[in-house]
Amino acid sequence: MSNQLMILLAVLLFPGGVFALVLGLALKGADRRVAARLQSRVGPPLLQPFFDIIKLGFKRTLVPEVASETVFLYAPLIGVISMVLAAALVPITAVYTPAPAIGNLLVLLYLLMIPGVVLMIAGSASGSPYGAIGFSREMAMMIAYEGPLVLIAAAVAIRTGVGMGGTVSFSLSDIIAYQQTHGSFLLDPVMWPALAAFCFFYPANIGIVPFDIPEAETEVLEGPLLEYSGPTLALFKIMSALKKVVVLNLGIALFLPFAPENWLLALVVWLVKMLVLMLVGVTALRVAIGRMRIDQAFIFFLKWPLLLAVASLAVVVVV
Amino acid sequence: MSHDHTPTVAPTYSIPVGPLHVALEEPMYFKIDVEGETVKHVGINAGHAHRGIEYLTTKRTIYQNVVLTERICSLCSNSHPQTFAMAAEKIAGIEVPERGIYLRVVADELKRIASHIFNVALLVHLTGYETYFMHMMQVREICQDTLESVFGNRQDIGAMCIGGVRYDVDEKSIAYILAQLARIEPEVRDFIKTFKSNGTILRRTKDVGVLTHANAITCGVVGPVARGSGIDYDVRREATYAAYDRLPLMVHTQTDGDVWSRAMVRLEETITSIDLVRVCLRDLPGGDAHIHDRPDIPPGQAIARTEAPRGEVFYYLRTNESAQPERVKWRVPTYMNWDALRFMLQDAKVADIAIIVNSIDPCLSCTER
Repeated sequence: MSNQLMILLAVLLFPGGVFALVLGLALKGADRRVAARLQSRVGPPLLQPFFDIIKLGFKRTLVPEVASETVFLYAPLIGVISMVLAAALVPITAVYTPAPAIGNLLVLLYLLMIPGVVLMIAGSASGSPYGAIGFSREMAMMIAYEGPLVLIAAAVAIRTGVGMGGTVSFSLSDIIAYQQTHGSFLLDPVMWPALAAFCFFYPANIGIVPFDIPEAETEVLEGPLLEYSGPTLALFKIMSALKKVVVLNLGIALFLPFAPENWLLALVVWLVKMLVLMLVGVTALRVAIGRMRIDQAFIFFLKWPLLLAVASLAVVVVV
Repeated sequence: MSHDHTPTVAPTYSIPVGPLHVALEEPMYFKIDVEGETVKHVGINAGHAHRGIEYLTTKRTIYQNVVLTERICSLCSNSHPQTFAMAAEKIAGIEVPERGIYLRVVADELKRIASHIFNVALLVHLTGYETYFMHMMQVREICQDTLESVFGNRQDIGAMCIGGVRYDVDEKSIAYILAQLARIEPEVRDFIKTFKSNGTILRRTKDVGVLTHANAITCGVVGPVARGSGIDYDVRREATYAAYDRLPLMVHTQTDGDVWSRAMVRLEETITSIDLVRVCLRDLPGGDAHIHDRPDIPPGQAIARTEAPRGEVFYYLRTNESAQPERVKWRVPTYMNWDALRFMLQDAKVADIAIIVNSIDPCLSCTER
């Protein structure tokens, strides 16, 4: 009984739910602020993402006449629920360990696919031609980056499993425990191809320039999000804020989970790692270059991240 | 022959681009049939920005029309009154003083610098490269500051009048303009270097929206669009006016006819414009900048043409006994250039539509007035 209560608290309060949402929006605020400074602009206040959500909450939701209303309205809700669950799956070293029933890398991989699928469904349910283009682009992007992600996960799982004397371990707690005793995968040359592939994956999954192609504002006017307004649009923003936390935390869990014993210190170290991953992998990247075209991004992903991910799997299996 | 009755699914669907679209600065409506991500057919629908200015010109006196024509469009806001004034001067046989002729070039070229950097900056914005867009706009802002300081306005600078220019420069403002140009020039040279080497920009602009030399001639395109397709044509040289015959004018061309070529022509022209302003200010003759009386414009008709930032602007003016013109008609570069869009957009990717449309530097308020 208390176990179920703990899971519920993990999902709703910490590290999922409220905590992940606040953190995700704060990261977004920091990202916008730093990007503005890099472009010699003043930039919005740090709390701007919170203001945006609150403002959208008070607005009306307009449903286009051609949209299929039920799907249109409930799709973002599914996305948010999937991400709230996912946020409770990933451990934070020395701070939070998920219940063994849910802390599984494979479950997380499935949950991580849902926001993309939700965007596709939302885009096609809205009935807008731009939503349709967004749909096909989102699908191409997912095909491009999900493959490498699965291979990266497999490489990590095999490395952990073999290291612990078994064959393969998809338990996130095991992955962290192994790295706690044997050193982070960040310092393990065998894992560097996987790490490099992950560095390509997470900006694409978070959906920023150069990989924000499905929602490219100057090309398809935010694509699937074009017809959304008010609270439903806020749900999408909440979904993407949660997804940031999940994806960044996944990176930390897979490659750099080192942390001090003290839980408070560990939490601070974890937050710093989140911020660094965000500013280096997302902010710096998106101010440094422009958007790719969908065909260019697709070929790019089939070339480099996939190659790296395959190489990492091969290296891990051989070594 | 199949005899089943399964409904055939149309391989194409159409998307509306415009009339309100974040990538278009002005209302322009394209009905685009796409197959997947590839453009198959383009329908151009114009007329959203029609304000009846041609009609209005016949209700105002010729001198008032210098002010009205300046308000046709904010980016070519110097070319319109200049061309109109040239047509009126031709009818009345007015000689513009030497100093006025040189100052006309200064005003025109400063506007050209601002317009060209603006267009190339927008191109970078459309490729999603926000940081470089911000940087280019900051450089353009130097030019806008110069315009505001010298003319009192950022866009409608009000420099032209019939018989000369309405502004004058002294030692102090000449030194100021030269100092500002010295700030702009290294930045523009940097833009050129970046456009030649930056992967992000090259990836999205090379071989995109190609207009071949033959198609360019078919459509009769003008300005940087023509020069980007290898047509060596510039009104400043072909039908020289103001002081251009005495200035070291260089006409830049590119051969590929893609978006990159058009942007590169604009950037190189910006450097030339900076040089022209410098030479003008160095060789500036003394005397008056404009004639002192306001002669009546006799009945007659005349044409005049100039090179606006977007290409050739062509004015026809017919006057009668009254103070108002009987007919004013103008043809702007965008009218010639947007016809070429159907060649450029053919088989383009949806992602490139906005980039290609921007590359002709469309000016809708000029075209639809």
